[in-house]
Amino acid sequence: MAATADTIFDQHLTARAFSLTSAFWFAFATSIGMVAAGYLIAPDFMANIPYLQFGRIRPIHVNLVLFGFVTPGLLAAAHYYVPRLLRTDLFSQKLGLMSVILWNVAVVSAVVSLSTGHSQGREYAELIWPVDMLVIVSFALVVLNLLMTVRRRKEPVLYVSIWYACAAVILTALTFSLGNVIWRPDTGALLGIPDAILLWFYGHNVFGLLLTPLTLGLAYYVIPIVTRNPLYSHTLSLIGFWSLLVVYTHIGTHHLLQVPVPTWLKVVATVDSVAMVIPVMVFLINIWYTAKGKLGEIHADIAGKFIFTGTIFYFFVSIQGSIMALPQVQRITHFNNWVIAHSHLGVLGFAGLSALGGLYYILPKITGKPLYSRFLADLQYWLVLIGIVGFTVVLTIAGLVQGNSWFAGETLYRTLPEIHSYYVVRLSIGLFIALAAYIGLYNVIRTIYFNPGEEA
Amino acid sequence: MYYPYFIAYMLSGFVISLIVLFWALRHGQFRDQKRLRFLPLADEPDPGSATRVTRMNRWEGFVLLGLACAGLATTAAVLFFTLYRW
Repeated sequence: MAATADTIFDQHLTARAFSLTSAFWFAFATSIGMVAAGYLIAPDFMANIPYLQFGRIRPIHVNLVLFGFVTPGLLAAAHYYVPRLLRTDLFSQKLGLMSVILWNVAVVSAVVSLSTGHSQGREYAELIWPVDMLVIVSFALVVLNLLMTVRRRKEPVLYVSIWYACAAVILTALTFSLGNVIWRPDTGALLGIPDAILLWFYGHNVFGLLLTPLTLGLAYYVIPIVTRNPLYSHTLSLIGFWSLLVVYTHIGTHHLLQVPVPTWLKVVATVDSVAMVIPVMVFLINIWYTAKGKLGEIHADIAGKFIFTGTIFYFFVSIQGSIMALPQVQRITHFNNWVIAHSHLGVLGFAGLSALGGLYYILPKITGKPLYSRFLADLQYWLVLIGIVGFTVVLTIAGLVQGNSWFAGETLYRTLPEIHSYYVVRLSIGLFIALAAYIGLYNVIRTIYFNPGEEA
Repeated sequence: MYYPYFIAYMLSGFVISLIVLFWALRHGQFRDQKRLRFLPLADEPDPGSATRVTRMNRWEGFVLLGLACAGLATTAAVLFFTLYRW
């Protein structure tokens, strides 16, 4: 008997809840980002509202994008494709729903605690201990659900997407616990240089071992389907997976080349940052060869379009990352807006676009109805694309202006008037991304709850 | 000891990876690679239901390629610029 929209609706509770989570927090996070961008133009913007001070708004924006928007979007897709590829059902939809609820409690707690000034003051690890524990328990529930699904599989051999999805949640549960120093609840930190080293292992890995594997797993699932081509090489994909594990786990110290950490560690971090070319190109060669000759088909499919564009941004952000780890290049590019351009390119351009693609891929499958509006999804694609390209260009130029000024011995305050106009353009471009987020939220809600479309 | 934490961190990742690698070897996870290439396609609808490709879709692809080339050129220029300064 063919599944009706109602039964499909019930089968994918977890994926649907993660989809809504992602769409909602994307809109919220970009709105907060707009406020933060406003501060960079007018430093006394909203200065009388303590909850919205720049020092509080900035970590809220970062944590919301990471844990509110991108990760749930990618997890929504993972909770759909993991059971499909294993030819079984998700271990427990109730457990999944519980993990989503707890996840949202953690994200709300993060917003409240950070806006009321409760921060541990470590970049990307600002959340206080109780919120850390909520995040860890949420991750533990996701790990349990996915691993039990793997255990009950009917497909004996694991497709590469399964490897990536499981590695992402397991390694991040570990990374998050260690990086946030959860055995020291009062400070969440070690002392001195060891803390800086540990923090940047965490700071880099929370992106590299969470967003990257989840995104690659999604691309390996969706691109073959959209192009109706088999994956170019599954063996190559596994080589990419294992080389990512070997190379990525200890490159965080490239954030600390100006700091008195042991030289051998800087060398390891720099060499492996350059070596990242191997897993990156293995993935890209595999995916692009899979998509070879099918550019039209990819752009005819809204999910394929988002995810394929994400792979192009992956190429650029990875090339940048390898180059930026070189001390000679970093003299100009570190501690300025270049890095902000790089992080937006990675988190929004690569992982964010792919997460949106994942949502648009699974929404018709988990609701049993077509997407509410393909036009709105297309509009969102172009707004985000224009936004991220504009962001990258503007912030890269601003970063080079800053880097060169400091390299030439100029004092910091004299560079501020020079980059002011770039900040204005940045805020304007940010409007595109914020608008795209609200359009996406509307489209997702309409698709799930108020969709007049025929059953697929 | 000065840096026990990141050594513990790296070792834990390494040990977990090794355990999983040996599990994969023992359970035949590196066999059957040709069949696995087709796995995502296994339960998808028939090709007849594929979305129709329009001329606009092809143009979007070319625009994206143009953007990618521009990005590549810019990356090369920036690399040259930063190294030239040095």
